[in-house]
Amino acid sequence: MRRLTLLTAALLLGACRSSTGPIVIGVAGPFSQPRGLSMRRAAELAIGEINAHGGVRGRQLQLAFLDDSGSEDVAVRVAQRLHDDPAIVAVIGHLTSGPSIAAARVYGAAPNPVVMISPSASSPDLSGIGPTIFRVCPSDLAHGPALARFARERLGARRVAVIYLNNEYGRGVRSTFVKEFQRLGGEVIEEDPYVAATASFEPYLTRIRLAGGVDALVIAGERPGAELAAREMAALGLRWPVLGGDALTGIEADGALAEGMHISSAYLWDRPGEKNAAFISAYARAYGADHPDHRGAGAYDIIQLLAQAIAAVGPSRAAVRDYLADVGRGRPPYDGVTGTIAFDGRGDVPQKPVVIGVVRGGRLITEAGQ
Amino acid sequence: MTAWRLGFDTLRWRILLGFGGVILGLLVAAIIGVAALSTMRGAVSQELEALETSSQVGTGIVTSVFTEIRSAEQYLAQPAADAKQSFQTAADDAFQYEKGLEKLAGLTVEDRLTINRVKQLQASIQVDYALAHALRDLGRTAEATAQAAKVRGPAAELTQLVSNLDGRQAERAVLAAGRLSDLARRRGLLLWLVLAVTVIAAAVIALFTLAAVEGPLQRLVTAAERFGAGDLRPVTTGKMPAEFEVLAHAMQVMGERLRGIVGEVVTEADRIATSAGDLSAVSEELAASSAEVSTAMIEISGGAEQQRNDLNAMGTGLDAQRKAAGEIADSAQRVARLGEEIRTVADRHRHDVLSAGTALLDVREVVETTSSQVTQLAQQSASIDDFVDLIKRISSQTNLLALNAAIEAARAGEHGRGFAVVAQEVRQLADESARAAEDVAHTTSVIREQVEEVTATMSVGQAKVRGIESVAEGAARGLAEIVAAVEQVEKAAAKVTEAAHQNRSVADEITSKAQLVGGRSVSHAASAEEVTAAAEEQGASTQEMAAAAGGLLQAAEKLRSLVKGFRV
Repeated sequence: MRRLTLLTAALLLGACRSSTGPIVIGVAGPFSQPRGLSMRRAAELAIGEINAHGGVRGRQLQLAFLDDSGSEDVAVRVAQRLHDDPAIVAVIGHLTSGPSIAAARVYGAAPNPVVMISPSASSPDLSGIGPTIFRVCPSDLAHGPALARFARERLGARRVAVIYLNNEYGRGVRSTFVKEFQRLGGEVIEEDPYVAATASFEPYLTRIRLAGGVDALVIAGERPGAELAAREMAALGLRWPVLGGDALTGIEADGALAEGMHISSAYLWDRPGEKNAAFISAYARAYGADHPDHRGAGAYDIIQLLAQAIAAVGPSRAAVRDYLADVGRGRPPYDGVTGTIAFDGRGDVPQKPVVIGVVRGGRLITEAGQ
Repeated sequence: MTAWRLGFDTLRWRILLGFGGVILGLLVAAIIGVAALSTMRGAVSQELEALETSSQVGTGIVTSVFTEIRSAEQYLAQPAADAKQSFQTAADDAFQYEKGLEKLAGLTVEDRLTINRVKQLQASIQVDYALAHALRDLGRTAEATAQAAKVRGPAAELTQLVSNLDGRQAERAVLAAGRLSDLARRRGLLLWLVLAVTVIAAAVIALFTLAAVEGPLQRLVTAAERFGAGDLRPVTTGKMPAEFEVLAHAMQVMGERLRGIVGEVVTEADRIATSAGDLSAVSEELAASSAEVSTAMIEISGGAEQQRNDLNAMGTGLDAQRKAAGEIADSAQRVARLGEEIRTVADRHRHDVLSAGTALLDVREVVETTSSQVTQLAQQSASIDDFVDLIKRISSQTNLLALNAAIEAARAGEHGRGFAVVAQEVRQLADESARAAEDVAHTTSVIREQVEEVTATMSVGQAKVRGIESVAEGAARGLAEIVAAVEQVEKAAAKVTEAAHQNRSVADEITSKAQLVGGRSVSHAASAEEVTAAAEEQGASTQEMAAAAGGLLQAAEKLRSLVKGFRV
């Protein structure tokens, strides 16, 4: 029955591929979860704005949302459906790295590959995975050096300790951070691993304290680890500044525990610029004083960029792919709410900076002076 | 189709194809062998590499985890900077090996799950020791020991998993080796098959080539022997290689043309003989007629003489007869009777002369026909010359071919020895053909000489016949004049008789008229003598013609005996 519906939809969409029907763009992400909310809202906002201005080439844009639940298995099935539907001109997604990597090979399959542009999948493994795969956020490897520069230059830290999640992400942030920090003349006194199951960082923290303390503690891990460290530091009466990567995003909701934490991010809602100001206010008007995160802002930029591409070369998968590949390399870079988008040969945006935010009063805002 | 025939029905191409096929087969076998070896080498090295990598990674993980554990335990026993460093390095190494593990080719879902588990265990072991070290650094030895004890379970599980993974890789290697040996066996089989097919094909081609040379050659030799023995009946040589086909065709053409010529010679000889027979019969008839004419003419001459004498007597006695008209009338009646006789004889002889003329026309026709047939015969003998030339050319071409074949056979060495013998036979055959052609040429020249003699004789005969004709015409004319004169004599005699009865005075007139008749009689006698001479002349010509016909008959008989040896 479901297949029949899909088939009907596909036929309808196929039938609507005339010059008057809507142009369909797929959007894939964990929309049933809180982290997918901003992405969905921003995408709908962008479409609404474009269609209000007459659409593209006289045709309306239409979004097809498909929920991947943040699971690699579901993501592969979703990707297959989008890839096999000839009405889909391009796909926005997926939100996280695992599903993006799993789905990338499906989108890239011959004979009719379709572009996938992720707003926030940051794994280095996604770089150069295929000619139809793009993303508008920096990779994880950009966060470590950004944090190192901020700690050394803005906080003036000389001694730091690193507690890292003992997986690829944590090790990547840790090693890039240590390398850059040591290059800037700082000292890393400890690099302590943890796993999700680790019950306590107390031995690490006590040893750091006995060793004379540090100017800053770097949590190269995810939100739960950072929360554990923050709780135990509070228990031990330690008040070292805490820094972490974008995987900590969301911790600002913990209030006092996270107050003052510095978190690297590809985009923060209070980013300066006319375009971002307009986007933030429109988003707040549409969704009741809420702020978009880097995922939503990325999705917003991707839709605007796709609209520009389709307007220029028409709603063809291959033409859109070729257009995107030229953005920043032959065509002018795209200036969006998240900054300047210019793709390299591997579908990355290496020139896009990582910004450092700080948790103030339960909100993640851009640290002043950047 | 023609190109195909040209390409494959020649001995040269059969031999080239045979050797080419064998070389091609060997080449294919060699290529298969080399390709199989190269594929095997590639596959083996690939499998070995995969196995080596897998084994390296597996060993690396286990080694680095053991090093990690040993360094960690050392540090717990006696904290030292180098032990801590060694622990950290080993942990990083293990992490790198895990990444290598993920990149191994041909991993199953089960393998990936195992690798994930290995990664988790390794991460957890490292974290447990890191925490234990921190506790040891803080002097909390008991807690550190307890923390370190947590490692044992995961470490054992990790070793087990890596060993399982290695085992599975080894199994895959064994499977791959099995596949490779299977492939090798199949390639080997294919190789043997190609070699066997090549050998069989070579043998078949050799046999066919041999058959293609021996069979046709035997048939050609038989045909040539038959021709040599004079049996010119058509020969069937059957299908054979193009080189022999040329020879066979030449022999067939030779047979056909010889057959045609000999047949025509026989026919012509028969016809000449018949014509000569006819000619001699006609000649005899003619001779008989001439004799009759001569006899008749002598009689006429005699009659005319008598008439003149009578007229003279009449003239001298006319004065006396003037008085005795009755006597004169009697005389005139006697003259009239004599004229009647003369006319009767002249008429008869004119008829004979006419019939002789008709016979002469027949003779001329026969002679002319014979002459044209003899001319045709001469032309035919010229075509025999052409044909003999053709046979000579074919013989020399065959000789050359056989020489080439002998050279090719010599190049083929031991295998060509049989063929060399065959080539020698072909050459001998060609020489014999040339000799036979010489014989035919010789025979033809003899025939031609005979024919030329006949032709000459025929020309003479024709001329003679034309002479006889003119003489006969003259005779006929003379006889016609005699008849006319006799008629006038009769009329005159009738008038004399009448006048003698009526008027004496008319006697003068009669006298003058008798004198006129006397003059005419003299001319009659002269004409009759002329006719006699002509008839005699005609007789002589007829005899010569009969002799020529006899010669012709002899030539035809000789010709017939010459071609009697041929069976057509």
